[in-house]
Amino acid sequence: MLGKHRPLPRCVPSWPNRSGERGTLMLTRKEFLQVGAALGATLAAPAVVRAQARKRFSLAWTVYVGWMPWPWAAEHGIVRKWASKYGIEIAVTEVNDYSTSINQYTAGGFDALTITNMDTLAVPAVGGVDSTSIITGDYSNGNDAVILKDKTDFAAIKGQRVNLVQYSVSQYLLDRALQMHNMTERDVNIVNTSDADMAAAWLTPAVTAVVTWNPIVQQILRNPNAHEVFTSAQIPGEILDLCIVNTKTLNQHPEFGKALVGAWYETLAIMLSPGPTGAAARTEMAKLSGTDLAGFDDQLKTTRLYPNPAEAAAFTASPKLRQTMEYVRQFLFTHGLMGQGAPSPDVVGIEYPDGAVQGDRKNIKFRFTDRFMRMAADRTI
Amino acid sequence: MSAISVRDVWQVYDGRVVLERISLEIKSGSFVAIVGPSGCGKTTFLRMLMSEERPSRGTILLDGRPLPDEPTADRGVVFQRYSVLPHLTVLGNIMLPLEFLGSRLLGRLFGAARRDAEAEARAMLAHVGLDGAEHLYPAQLSGGMQQRLALAQALMGKPRVLLLDEPFSALDPGTRAEIHGLTKRLWEETGMTVVMVTHDLSEAFRLGTRIVVFERLEPERGTRITFDIPVEGRKKPQEHRTPREMHIVTQEKSPCDRIAVGRRPSAWSAATTTPISTPAKAAAGRP
Amino acid sequence: MRVINRHPGRQARQILTALPFLAAVIAYFTASAIRLAANPEDRLLPSLGQMAAAVRRMAFSQDIASGQYLLLSDTAMSLQRLLLGLAIAVGISFAVGIAVGMVPYLRRTFVAFIAAFSMVPPLAVLPILFIAVGIGETAKVTLIVIGTAPFMIRDLIMRVEELPRPQLIKVQTLGATSWQIALRVVVPQMLPRLIDALRLSLGPAWLYLISAEAIAAESGLGYRIFLVRRYFAMDVILPYVAWITLLAFLFDALLRVFQRRAFPWFALEYMR
Repeated sequence: MLGKHRPLPRCVPSWPNRSGERGTLMLTRKEFLQVGAALGATLAAPAVVRAQARKRFSLAWTVYVGWMPWPWAAEHGIVRKWASKYGIEIAVTEVNDYSTSINQYTAGGFDALTITNMDTLAVPAVGGVDSTSIITGDYSNGNDAVILKDKTDFAAIKGQRVNLVQYSVSQYLLDRALQMHNMTERDVNIVNTSDADMAAAWLTPAVTAVVTWNPIVQQILRNPNAHEVFTSAQIPGEILDLCIVNTKTLNQHPEFGKALVGAWYETLAIMLSPGPTGAAARTEMAKLSGTDLAGFDDQLKTTRLYPNPAEAAAFTASPKLRQTMEYVRQFLFTHGLMGQGAPSPDVVGIEYPDGAVQGDRKNIKFRFTDRFMRMAADRTI
Repeated sequence: MSAISVRDVWQVYDGRVVLERISLEIKSGSFVAIVGPSGCGKTTFLRMLMSEERPSRGTILLDGRPLPDEPTADRGVVFQRYSVLPHLTVLGNIMLPLEFLGSRLLGRLFGAARRDAEAEARAMLAHVGLDGAEHLYPAQLSGGMQQRLALAQALMGKPRVLLLDEPFSALDPGTRAEIHGLTKRLWEETGMTVVMVTHDLSEAFRLGTRIVVFERLEPERGTRITFDIPVEGRKKPQEHRTPREMHIVTQEKSPCDRIAVGRRPSAWSAATTTPISTPAKAAAGRP
Repeated sequence: MRVINRHPGRQARQILTALPFLAAVIAYFTASAIRLAANPEDRLLPSLGQMAAAVRRMAFSQDIASGQYLLLSDTAMSLQRLLLGLAIAVGISFAVGIAVGMVPYLRRTFVAFIAAFSMVPPLAVLPILFIAVGIGETAKVTLIVIGTAPFMIRDLIMRVEELPRPQLIKVQTLGATSWQIALRVVVPQMLPRLIDALRLSLGPAWLYLISAEAIAAESGLGYRIFLVRRYFAMDVILPYVAWITLLAFLFDALLRVFQRRAFPWFALEYMR
């Protein structure tokens, strides 16, 4: 391997030969290399072996009505049951801040994440992390709303300062609402306001228009001067809550996807059942999200869940989803959120269950699959 | 009438008797040196004279009237350290008492009043051997010069009594000798009553007209006056005069001061006799 | 020779100071290169080129929507709020600190209250602040004031109490009234110490500014950082953070120089 070499300079001690004065423990060059290779192989081997037999996976969730099934399922052993069925372990972790959960997923800290369709495209997809949506959980059917103070007509928003979380689904909602009323963002002034402070901000006289999501919407509507003038119910199916998984991990370990989907539909069935079991489950979920059963059920009214996997799968394969993602990509592109220097929204490819691709086929980073949902529908999961 | 009359003064802290049965009559114009071992309470006594502390028992009278409750301008003071203000130049420090008296609201003088005060201050500076150092800050002065400044500043306030709290203890022997000379001269010129606390016996004998010894004879008892020694042959001034009514005469500067100043020497070697008879406006209303 | 007696030579001194910076930079760019090799779109540790592109975008080209140079307009807005907040805090702290430090009645009344107030985390009472003053500029400036003034007040009170007693006695024997003592003795000596307290408060002031801008704003350095944080744009965030650090360092240096020039006696005191 070494072949010819220049003689070593005198300051460097040369290798002793077998019969050298320094003793028999010294190795010849050849022996040294052999030992080195063996050592390297021994050290690397467990890593290789570990990669193929990987057993631990993680899912991150944040508090939101559409994602509360996860902590409940984790607490009641449903996740563990499905995970053991496939011989793996799944850790279900709460992250306090939605943005942080997305960033951590993108940085490789989690294998799966509860996230909206828009944020999936904007952060991990544009950030080069190939993700697959395996569950279409629900769409916002009034959970996101535009609220005006002392005005009941959406058109009155013209010229106003609007407080919302900039570049979030709230701004998307506002844009679609403006579109539908023949206005543009130029007709309003957007003030970036943190969702945590939105309710407090509403109480100040300077704030007259906000766009936000539940449960903050409910909180603000308790004020008599607050009026909902546009909600996500008017753009049904556009703001989707998904469960995404890192595509590479999913391809290597499809059992992870199966366990997640199985646990999800079992939980949903229990949660939405009419009897006391359902009520008990929803009460617990309400407590976990900081409200009570009545408040939680209220939020469920404006969340169109898909407890039936066949329906969810059908929706995922429908052209409606493609139309939605087209709106979403245009929104992101016009706001410069598809990466700097992006010439068009096509820079990132979005793949659909039938194999069709929106955008760059050679750079697919967001995939919708109905495979697992159909398995759940056929009870082969 | 004595300038200071101390009658049966006791000082007790938390049940511990520090001073007991201190009685003293100090005549106007005398130079009283208070000596005693460290920690015996000499400084406590001086503090009572300047109203920094109040005696637990007994009375102190100044010119027949009870001592005010707080330090006032009739009792000037020079401490061992921190007697001058670090943020003012030498000139600023000396002008300060005139500015306090002359400008109730702003504490500063302007225009003609300022010029007059400055002239007075410069005269005093020259008198104590600090001319040439007007624009230095106290931190740039040697120990001896700082104490000269402190003395000059105290005298500018024209106090009735001058209280000195171990003012020269931190100085080296050479400087101390010079400043003894200055102190004695100033006392003779002004005829003030001086009470000086010192732990240096030779200093006490050199300067004082009277030595009062404070001693704690028994450990559980307080300090008392054990000796009261008049010093013979000390020339006493004829009358009480304010510095302003004096003729300013030259004095020789020591080589040490010259080096410490480090600046171009002013016309200090010329012998001048300059009567300063115009009282500054600040003097109006001053008892 | 004992390790405490070994001193680096001239050359070694400069190298040693630069060493941790170099190490950090090398560690960063190594990690960045590794991540980018695996995923060229990675956003966690942007490369020098990505950050340079971001800087060019934010500082040297006009924003499409507003026509402004974003880094400059952000800096201008943030500095406006910071300087206003600090000016008000300094004014209040100076007046209150000196008054409370000098007057025993005021001291007894206010010291405990100010101490307790300084322990309240301002960010936690933000909702109350919003209701009181809205979510506009006033709230941001107020947050900076509430965050920095209590510390400066307490510091000044302690410094006033540290003035040597002999000094105060001396000026009383020179005929000074309380007001004159405040004006000619305490205030001039407290001014350089106020600058010290201000320098120490710069860090927290930036913190409060950035937190305030994160909550409700349309422009500003903190606003920009939190905005792009949603989109994990570390290539914008890291240069912005470096810029803020540079600004804070500059302010500190400026204050130090000003203190030395305006109060030459202060340095002398401590040299002794």
